[in-house]
Amino acid sequence: MSTNRHPIEQEELMAYLDGELSADQATEALSHLELCPECQTLAADFRGVSQELLAWEVESPEVGISSELNAALGERLQKRQAAKVTSSRLENRVITSRWVWAGALAIVCVVVGLKLTLTSHNRSEDRSTAYPSMASIEQYLMPDRDAEIALARSAAPEAISSDAKILVLGWRGYETADEGKNGFVCMVERSWMSPFNSADFWNPKVRVPQCFNPAAARSILPLTFKRTEMVLAGLSKAQMIDSIKAGFDNKELPRPEPGAMCYMMSRAGYLNDALGHYVPHLMFYFPLTDKSSWGADLRDSPVTLNPQFRDGPEPITEFVIAVGKWSDGTAAPAM
Amino acid sequence: MTSDEALMLEFQGGSRAAFEELFARYRRPLYGFFGRRLNNPERAEDLVQETFLAVIRAASRYEPRALVRTYLYGIALNLLAAERRKFSTSSTLGQSVTEPKTDGTPEYVLWVRQAMERLDSPDREILMLREYEQLSYSDIAELLRIPVNTVRSRLFRSRLALKSYLESEAKTNRGVRASAWEPHPRRRGMQ
Repeated sequence: MSTNRHPIEQEELMAYLDGELSADQATEALSHLELCPECQTLAADFRGVSQELLAWEVESPEVGISSELNAALGERLQKRQAAKVTSSRLENRVITSRWVWAGALAIVCVVVGLKLTLTSHNRSEDRSTAYPSMASIEQYLMPDRDAEIALARSAAPEAISSDAKILVLGWRGYETADEGKNGFVCMVERSWMSPFNSADFWNPKVRVPQCFNPAAARSILPLTFKRTEMVLAGLSKAQMIDSIKAGFDNKELPRPEPGAMCYMMSRAGYLNDALGHYVPHLMFYFPLTDKSSWGADLRDSPVTLNPQFRDGPEPITEFVIAVGKWSDGTAAPAM
Repeated sequence: MTSDEALMLEFQGGSRAAFEELFARYRRPLYGFFGRRLNNPERAEDLVQETFLAVIRAASRYEPRALVRTYLYGIALNLLAAERRKFSTSSTLGQSVTEPKTDGTPEYVLWVRQAMERLDSPDREILMLREYEQLSYSDIAELLRIPVNTVRSRLFRSRLALKSYLESEAKTNRGVRASAWEPHPRRRGMQ
């Protein structure tokens, strides 16, 4: 392959497929790859090799914590506990002479008070800067494929999710782990499905199990694939927003189909640092709609407007209705 | 979901549950790491336990500078090197502690293993760390103490070589499977 004809080297193309290029380089590689049949063949070869290697699976026995490991663990935790007790005793000795140190403590209190005020101020600043950029890709992946499958299925009651198609996130995007047979698709969304201005957009802890009904699998899920593909290619938020807008303009991305909805009833999900597991709920998707048409966000209304796509590039309105039980049938806290 | 790094810090602070969660997350990947390199299921199982034993012993010294994932594979690589020294073997595959067990192994898996054995040992290790352990180029460079560019060039070389080996195996065994790229029963679908 001549570098005169190709703006990227073959090694760079491989690095692009591995998600190892910077955003600018990835954009250049992607642009070239879309137009160059020769590079498409090479990319297919690389993907083929990776696929072949997957054949070599190693069946893991149900390895538990061995007695030796358990003993070492117990010893370590015991030592740790002993260290805590010692530290606590030392602390008590200091406290017994409290009258002597009363004056000094008063000063300490003033200093601590000031520090707490400052910390509280800093925390509110940290909230918007905790995840300023994308973490390494492996932080968004789940090393245990079976755990991701189980988490995906937990989005909906078993009667739905046991026959659903299951997707898991791999290095090159979402992969099918189970074909399913009822038209529903369960998967675990990552932080980049948050609003673009969300403080959690790059939060690698986010795991959002969702189970889309067939209409949503056809018309909403492509948005997840689109964002994921761009994130893994290293595109900036601005580039992603532009690309999504263009996708809707040129009809590459679909509008929500009538009846599109999804289940979010997992008790094991993690929506973001503020909401944690949140509450079990259902989501309904529409082309841009005034929230008053559903009475959303009105006093005592069970319907709320989800901010996921609000003011975003996707022309979608999403309503949320909380339900009383998690997918496993256990009672959920009130919203 | 709590991150691995947060779990490690919780364990450092005395949480048994955090350790058990880390064990649950990594026992299978680590078993795969040792299983592919040693072809000895019993030793692979022992070495998984030894990896976590090392984690316990070094817990007080752990600093969250690297990902827990990379940290664990660093320990695993050290244990693997010690294991190989113990049995005076210089190969990662094929000439390992015991001969590969082939009973009941599907033919296409044997092809992959045989093709891997034809790669140079350092190239093979890089390829395996990338494909099976899914480490980034920089993590591999750090673990093997080589430049990132070397990781990239060796990975490139080994993938092309592997493609060629697999294609030649497919031609030789045309009656069994027409092409190296023909789907096999365990192949995972991709979007």
